[in-house]
Amino acid sequence: MAPLLQAVSVGKTYPGGTVANDGVNLSVMAGEVHAVVGENGAGKSTLMKILFGMEQPDRGELLLDGKPVRFANPREAIDSGIGMVFQHFSLVPSFSVYENIVLGSEPKAGIKFDRAKAIAAVRELSERFRLNVDPLPPVGQLPVGQQQRVEILKALYRDARILILDEPTAVLAPQEVAELFVAVRSLVEQGRTVIFIAHKLPEVLEISDRITVMRAGRTVGEVMAKDVTEQSLATLMVGREVALRVDRAKREGELVCEVKALKIVGENGATLAQDLNLKVHGGEILGLVGVEGNGQAELLEAVAGLRPIADGVAYLNAESLGRMSVLQRRAKGLASIPEDRIAQGLATGASVAENLVATKLADPRFVRHGLLDLKAIKAHAEKLIEQFSIRVGGPKFAVGTLSGGNMQKVVVARELAEQPKLLLVNQPTRGVDLGATQFIWRSITDARDGGAAVLLSSADLSELLALSDRLVVFYRGRIVAAFINSEELSAETLGTYMLGLAQQEPETMRAALR
Amino acid sequence: MSTTSPSRWTAIGKEAGRAALALVIALIVALVVILLTSTEPAKAFATLMTGPLSSNRTIGLWIDDVAKLTLTGLAFSLVFQARQFSMGVQGQVYMGGLFAALVAMSPLGGTAFAIPLAMIAAMIAGAAYGIIPGYAKAKFGASEIVSSLMLNYIAILIVNFLVRAYLAPAGSGQLATQKFPDAAIFPSIIPGTRFDLGIVIALVTVVIVWFLLYRTAWGLKLRLVGHNPKFAEYSGIRANAIMVSAMTASGAIGGLLGAVFVEGRAFGNLSVDFDGNLAFEGILIAIVARSRPLAVPIVALFYGYLRQGAQLMGLRTDVPSEMIGVVQAIIILLVASSFSLPGKKALGRLFGRERSPAAAMPGEAK
Repeated sequence: MAPLLQAVSVGKTYPGGTVANDGVNLSVMAGEVHAVVGENGAGKSTLMKILFGMEQPDRGELLLDGKPVRFANPREAIDSGIGMVFQHFSLVPSFSVYENIVLGSEPKAGIKFDRAKAIAAVRELSERFRLNVDPLPPVGQLPVGQQQRVEILKALYRDARILILDEPTAVLAPQEVAELFVAVRSLVEQGRTVIFIAHKLPEVLEISDRITVMRAGRTVGEVMAKDVTEQSLATLMVGREVALRVDRAKREGELVCEVKALKIVGENGATLAQDLNLKVHGGEILGLVGVEGNGQAELLEAVAGLRPIADGVAYLNAESLGRMSVLQRRAKGLASIPEDRIAQGLATGASVAENLVATKLADPRFVRHGLLDLKAIKAHAEKLIEQFSIRVGGPKFAVGTLSGGNMQKVVVARELAEQPKLLLVNQPTRGVDLGATQFIWRSITDARDGGAAVLLSSADLSELLALSDRLVVFYRGRIVAAFINSEELSAETLGTYMLGLAQQEPETMRAALR
Repeated sequence: MSTTSPSRWTAIGKEAGRAALALVIALIVALVVILLTSTEPAKAFATLMTGPLSSNRTIGLWIDDVAKLTLTGLAFSLVFQARQFSMGVQGQVYMGGLFAALVAMSPLGGTAFAIPLAMIAAMIAGAAYGIIPGYAKAKFGASEIVSSLMLNYIAILIVNFLVRAYLAPAGSGQLATQKFPDAAIFPSIIPGTRFDLGIVIALVTVVIVWFLLYRTAWGLKLRLVGHNPKFAEYSGIRANAIMVSAMTASGAIGGLLGAVFVEGRAFGNLSVDFDGNLAFEGILIAIVARSRPLAVPIVALFYGYLRQGAQLMGLRTDVPSEMIGVVQAIIILLVASSFSLPGKKALGRLFGRERSPAAAMPGEAK
């Protein structure tokens, strides 16, 4: 059988000399689920953008049904039956589901938008492909999992034969992942082809028929899913043996951070989190579990001083944090690795040295009488570059020129340059390759072993289960469950609480909250 | 900057090449305009190219422009580095000019303190005028672009009103005050020309602004706020305070420029509409210099030459002075368009591929 879609030795070099794709081969058969896996920076996204017409290849060619094709823009790719669902959705939140789906190709009655026909078409599609979603409510009110279905329906409405899903599971809870997979299977049954980009290997093995592995811009192998194990796939991806294991906390210290009846209110007055009670001790990692947007990030921001506390108290070493400025909190030993390194954790246009010293501009080691001690700043940067093995040409290079993993190392290096008392961590390894992930995990556990209390939030449940000593689950701004981490605790168990499907007994919860 | 990484020099070379390219294109366009409008194009073009060097007097005109362009370029660079698009330099120039004039016309104007006092008064007035849009933004979220532009009109009209109603000699119907006492007018460096203290003030200000931006904690904070205000807040930098202080410092430079205007040998008095819109050309200077204070005077030197050449061409030949505006606008357009990506791509296509890889180097887009 000839492949439906084929990429033959595709190469893409970005201006500035980054070789994103270098001789990439991909052949996707009709009616299969084909996964493309690789570390971040392996070139998966670039390849997908080429397939979808967002980037033009410098070398090589694309074959669709055996015929060479060239997509100048996504429109042409869509017309050829290729649809793509991005990790970040492109939906109009105030428009209803059906309006979003038909947007740009609306059914018409004369010159009028035929709403009834549009709703019927959406209903029909959603039944046929088992993508249950009500066509009428505004998209902004739907949970993320449903929004994703709307995106998929949007592509199907435009008759996509080939559907590219870019890291579709990254934003989903385990149960939602299961539902997505049901839909993917029904798509394939009905003759559609799915290309699935991912880096969570168990999921890849579960859903895909064949897997193309990419590393450093090249395809390093194509395997049948049934022939490989998670370990062999990981080895293929990274090119060496990897061990993602973390030692548990050895000892437990004194109470470092306590949050009592905390309430957080957004700028528009909506309650983002309420009735939060928790304690973190020195030398332990408390995992904050929850689907994104359920209050975990807000709690971390409130403790860090980036968000006002509406009610309740947060203590650090028995001192109330409420009125303290960010600098005062940092002086008390608070460190924070924020969710989004580019949006918040770094100034990408500034140099590595400047980024590393940004939180220490009141420190007499680096600033005296308002003047910068450039020598000390440079020495500080060189020491941390060495210590955290950040791959960069020197302290003067702009952070924006670094890879994602190295950028994250700059953040980690800055926050862990000195042993913190309370460490706030949000999505420490999002978009970071396995090598850097190992390193960052070790840095966090080293800080813990040094006596830090750690609050860790992550969208990756396996990360939370690997690192945390205890876990609390957030749902709609409240803590709904608490666990002491153990081998028996599974992602599925956490998932039922994350989606609000189960309730924990107050006593059980209190015991785990300590 | 004791150890300079190689990437820095290539970046500087690239920027200089980009500016030079804009200059060359502008000159070609100017040539076309001249050919279309002049009966003696050779003479007109020669005037454009060599006019500013034709006499001591014209050199003085050129250097006077360079001093003023440098100061306005610095004022804009400072706010641009904090990524505040405050357009208020013109208003600050008028406020600064007004207060410098008030000092010069007071009994102090005849003493040796006249010049320093007038400069200080002008800087305070400019700074105070610069705080307003900053405070309005920090407190009420008012767009600094709109508020600073509106404040410009207020300042210009207030100054014009005061000059006409009170400050000009009574009953004369003049649109300017009387000449200040000699002690309140900048001494000239080349006698009989406008080559005066102004250029010294401008160059000293360059060094001060560079020092503030790159050697002080305030400067680093300001640049970090400009790079990423969210990051600054997260790091414990009070972004709003830095933003307001950047606008205030920029206002002080604007005010100082006002003093240089009215006390310089070009005027020596306060007249209506005295800045001739020069204050706004600081935007161009700051953009071409990428808001780098040390690059500002160099850009001002070239741009001032072209500006003066164009004005002399307007005076001495039959090229209509409106055409000068066209040429200036084209320079601005060229420089500004190489900023945005489509413009960059178009230029890359126009000038072959060897330019394009460098043009899109990451991490240095302003």
